[in-house]
Amino acid sequence: MKFNKKIKIACLLVLSGAAVLTACNKGLEQIQGTTPVSVILPGSGSALGDTLKSSARANDSLYFKIIVKSGLLATLNNKANEYTVFVPTNAAVRKFVTAITGGAVPAAAPDAVFSAFLSSASFPAASAAGIVSYNIIPQKLLSTNIPASFPNFQYPTLINPAPSISALLRLTTFLSTRNGAWVNNTPIVSLDNLAANGVFHEIANVVVPPTTFLWDRINADTTLKYLKAAIIRADSGTVAPGTLVGALLNIGANLTVYAPTDSAFQVTLSGAIYQALVAQGFPAGGSTFATANSLATGRDSIGPTVFRNPLLFKALSAQKVKGLIVYHILGVRAFNNNLPTTESYFPTLLNGAIPTHPGIGLKAVFTGSFVSSATVKGVANATAANILINPLPAPSGTSDQFYLNGVLHKIDQVLLPQ
Amino acid sequence: MRKITSYLVTLITANILVITAFAQNVTISGNVQNSATTENAAAVSVSLKGYETGTYTDDKGNFTVNTKVLPATLIFSSIGYQQQEVSVTSAAAFLKIKFVPSNSLGQEVVVSASRVPQKILESPVSIERVNAAAIRNAPAANFYDIVSTLKGVDVTTSSLTFKTPTTRGFGGSGNTRFNQLVDGMDNQAPGLNFSVGAIIGLNELDIDNIELLSGASSALYGPGGMNGTMLMTSKNPFKYQGLSFVVKQGIMHTDKRERPTSPYYSYSLRWGKKISQKFAFKITTEFIQAKDWIGTDYRDYNRSAAKLKAGDRLTDPGYDGVNTYGDETSADIRQVLNGAAAAVPFLAPYISTLTGKPIVVSRTGYTEQEIINPNTVNFKLGGSLHYKISDGTEASVAAYWGTGNTIYTGASRYTIKDFKMGQYKLEFINKNWLLRAYTTQENAGGSFNLAATTQNFNEAWKPSRGSNGWFAQYGQAYLGSKLNGATDYDAHVAARAIADIGRPKVGTATFTNLYDSVSKLPVPLGGALLDRSDLYNVEGNYNLSSLTKRFADLLIGGNFRKYVLNSQGTLFADTAGPIGIREVGAYIQASKEFGIVKLTASGRYDKNENFKGRLTPRVTAVIKLAENNNFRLSYQTAYRFPSTQQQWINLDLVSYKLIGGNDAFRSIYNFDGNPTYDRDSLRHGKIVATPFTSLKPESLSSFEAGYKGLIMDSKLLIDIYTYFGEYTDFLARRNVVQSKSGSAITLGDTSQGQTYSVPINSPGKIKTYGFGIGLDYRLPLNFGVSVNAASDNLSNVPNNFTTFFNSPKYKLNASLGNTGFGPQKRLGFSVAYRWQDSFYYDGDLASGQLPSVQTVDAQVSIKLPKTKSVLKVGANNLLNQYYYNGIGNSNIGGLYYVSFGYNIY
Repeated sequence: MKFNKKIKIACLLVLSGAAVLTACNKGLEQIQGTTPVSVILPGSGSALGDTLKSSARANDSLYFKIIVKSGLLATLNNKANEYTVFVPTNAAVRKFVTAITGGAVPAAAPDAVFSAFLSSASFPAASAAGIVSYNIIPQKLLSTNIPASFPNFQYPTLINPAPSISALLRLTTFLSTRNGAWVNNTPIVSLDNLAANGVFHEIANVVVPPTTFLWDRINADTTLKYLKAAIIRADSGTVAPGTLVGALLNIGANLTVYAPTDSAFQVTLSGAIYQALVAQGFPAGGSTFATANSLATGRDSIGPTVFRNPLLFKALSAQKVKGLIVYHILGVRAFNNNLPTTESYFPTLLNGAIPTHPGIGLKAVFTGSFVSSATVKGVANATAANILINPLPAPSGTSDQFYLNGVLHKIDQVLLPQ
Repeated sequence: MRKITSYLVTLITANILVITAFAQNVTISGNVQNSATTENAAAVSVSLKGYETGTYTDDKGNFTVNTKVLPATLIFSSIGYQQQEVSVTSAAAFLKIKFVPSNSLGQEVVVSASRVPQKILESPVSIERVNAAAIRNAPAANFYDIVSTLKGVDVTTSSLTFKTPTTRGFGGSGNTRFNQLVDGMDNQAPGLNFSVGAIIGLNELDIDNIELLSGASSALYGPGGMNGTMLMTSKNPFKYQGLSFVVKQGIMHTDKRERPTSPYYSYSLRWGKKISQKFAFKITTEFIQAKDWIGTDYRDYNRSAAKLKAGDRLTDPGYDGVNTYGDETSADIRQVLNGAAAAVPFLAPYISTLTGKPIVVSRTGYTEQEIINPNTVNFKLGGSLHYKISDGTEASVAAYWGTGNTIYTGASRYTIKDFKMGQYKLEFINKNWLLRAYTTQENAGGSFNLAATTQNFNEAWKPSRGSNGWFAQYGQAYLGSKLNGATDYDAHVAARAIADIGRPKVGTATFTNLYDSVSKLPVPLGGALLDRSDLYNVEGNYNLSSLTKRFADLLIGGNFRKYVLNSQGTLFADTAGPIGIREVGAYIQASKEFGIVKLTASGRYDKNENFKGRLTPRVTAVIKLAENNNFRLSYQTAYRFPSTQQQWINLDLVSYKLIGGNDAFRSIYNFDGNPTYDRDSLRHGKIVATPFTSLKPESLSSFEAGYKGLIMDSKLLIDIYTYFGEYTDFLARRNVVQSKSGSAITLGDTSQGQTYSVPINSPGKIKTYGFGIGLDYRLPLNFGVSVNAASDNLSNVPNNFTTFFNSPKYKLNASLGNTGFGPQKRLGFSVAYRWQDSFYYDGDLASGQLPSVQTVDAQVSIKLPKTKSVLKVGANNLLNQYYYNGIGNSNIGGLYYVSFGYNIY
């Protein structure tokens, strides 16, 4: 019996020893170190929509009306996503409303009037949605993320102009922090306002998404008849989609067209045509010389039909004209505010055929924070051509004209590549 | 009925005896009983003093022995009993012997230390011995686990039935530096290079003893035993007779952490019969079935840097979990994004903001739990016929066959399915000589590599590459989500959801059918292992001591071995037919006593057809300080030829090719015309030519000193050793890159080129040292306590060099037990505790810090003498504290069982 007791004690000792060991083995130790790169927890605080709504953002209240009308408020309040939003200030929205109402809502009207207009049926929700979605960039872009180099940084917005073609299609916007901070050619007036799900930057104008192509402008502009004719001449013998017109109508293209006005063409053409005709032997015969002379000097009588005149086909061959036209086009989008302040040369589409060509020289002069003048120089031109500065919308605007597939600037000389 | 049979047998036996042994005309018979429990004592040696004649008691304790003269003295001896001498004057009386159990230490005899029987206390090298009594009283559900309680032993547990022991470092599932011999046969699977003692070996009832030599032992056992050799010896049916069986029923997964609670079944049976004085046979079989432990390490793994890292499936798009498979396939989706940028130029600037850094994405994997066959099954069948050609010479034929399903950890986890291995042996044993021939026939059955199978399974339901492949879909969906303002995290989640459309769900017929079909295709199209390699071995030795006694004791021996590698080109470079590898070796050993010092010198010469011959010397000295107190010293060199895989493997693992070091690979891959370069250097921007070099055998020189002695009135057995060793031409692997096009190598070839993992001999010498200490103390009333501790270390390891040393710096075992106490000493119990230190584990599957491990095993048993049976209740990992002892290996919980054993001795 005594013996049994001893056994019991021994067993108890063993058991108590075992109990001490309980929970000794460690499970899988978590690996410490760099935190996983891709975990982004939703930020705390208000989302973009709620931030813009708050009374603290009184200067954004009119644009907030547009957001509400657009139906995108929920998107901007989705904390799972991240956005960068460009927010036109109340002053910008007022300008915009006055412009689209043709002055029916005068610039001096109180904010309540602007508010009422934006909430009314006169301002369609579709327009609001277009504007708001064009001013949202998916992903958070702080000013430090926007490069200051040429050309502008191309960034997709939420607008997909043709979802049926591809889910990845987007209208793009063009950002730059060179010579200030810009969306296309609109100045950013207040940078890096943070919200829980992204950032917003205030801008000085309402940036409206483009709806037409470069060719639509060239085709319709009454001061670009020569350019239009020259482009058609350049395309003769070429089959779409390899044509210049095709490119100017292609949504995937990204171009800058320096468009010599009709008067610029006339100056260049009269000299060039005379020389060409003389080279063809027109000076040898009397009557034909007179024709040549009148063709060359009678500027007013030379219409854009000059490019269709069979007499001049040899002088103005499709290839020659094409060479001339592509020298006026950049394969990137250049806004004047992003030009260098000392002349620098950039390749044109001509470099596709002549890779070593120096390109065209570009330069802008700033007065304050705005471009007061800008020039483009062809290598064979004696002087640089002037960009006709007027950034207002078509039809009166002549610079930074913004289209689906590019920018157009009118210039006062034809650029000569050689 | 049984009685009649035994009478018949006795009669027949008697007749044979009359005919064949006419000289022995007096028959003494009797019965031996345990004096404490009154059980019949089986397998007790009964010998005639002064003669070489002897026998053993049968399972009922009965014996019959013949003598020419009377009076005679019979000596009764058995481990665990006091030796007893009985004088017999008349043959007429039936002797009733009361055999007194003893609890003395250090009485065992070992064979393996010098290939001749000697007292364990006088062994010249460190040796551990486990006898049948220890197995009976051990708490381990499987006898194989007892090995882990021995001093200096580390066990790597791949799964319930796949355990790999080692000593002195280099643990791991596919250990090639530690030999396992079963009844003298090398137990390695010749194609897979790992020993399968746990699954194709002896059954628990048939184990006579296990001897474990820690430390270099190739001087006696041939190439391979660099770190140690374990010898398992089965019970001879002349000695151990009768029918025995054990029925073990247990439960596992009691906390349902890995699976629902499931049963564990283990049945074993042995029947040994001495038909006559000349002929005996035995049949053994064992069946184990359970739901296996599984690997549940879902931590993220950086495979190229061989490091665990932070992250999981949700936070790391390139997640590659240790125990998830299929996610080894990864790609940088910038390829897809840049393709989109080229197609849609206006997105190019935007895409360039996403592609500043690699965006590595992996295919969605499946966890081990989802894909592994939960059933582990092990069936063993064995038998042998023994015939005594003469008094001193016994011939036997034996077969050992096993099949089963288990899980093994190599470069990946492997489902070993319907694996079959048979070992067949013909042997002649004389007390002076031995001749043995055996073959090992392996068939990997339907075994497959989980990673390769799952990767190819993923390819089968949706290819990774191509314009509409998984990565293309992922990349486009990712970009699409980013273009809608999604965060990186959400964009990855959304992209994976889209790319995974059509991913078969686990458990559906689609999944099962496809997975099964892929698992049957060999690598690189699937994951199957079609290995049917064989091994043939002939060996013999002769003890010349009777002739050379005056000069010294002399032992000579030799062996010839042939491997036949046959994988039909799926594992080895054997598309043209099986590859043969021949090895031949011979050894000589001389020993002589000089007073209290016994010196033994051995030399062994081995030649492998692919390598130069090697001589391995061994010198040992045993100094007898006092009776039962010996100091030992030894120096030996050990070496191993590169394993069959290190010579001939040719496995395309998709991301790299694992090849052997045989010179044939030089022309197979045109290494002379299109050389290889070190991949790690290339990654660091340096081009370092690393030409293909011929392999040399690895060798180890080892010094050891130890003391073994009985003190404190023979109640305390002390065994201490310390060793120091130095590896030369250490075998390791290196990654090299070759240009795919055959043009000059470029830095881009780190990803574009073909990577090979080639075996090399590492330059320099790597040192190893350690010590061990064991104490066994006999308490009163049959209680025994033992403690052992050991330490193994490696030093002088070159930088950036992976040794796979895998041994804890310190480990400790402690146990308390009693083989008989209480009324009639019918109760028994034991408690075993094991602790091992935390260490950094290097594995082909994964490497990382292993936490320290502690386990407690315990059992209580009661003998039921009337029915000759034992009831036992036991627990392995009593506290159900899950542990793992290799990164990526199964996580082991508690196993609780009840067993009923009949006629166990």
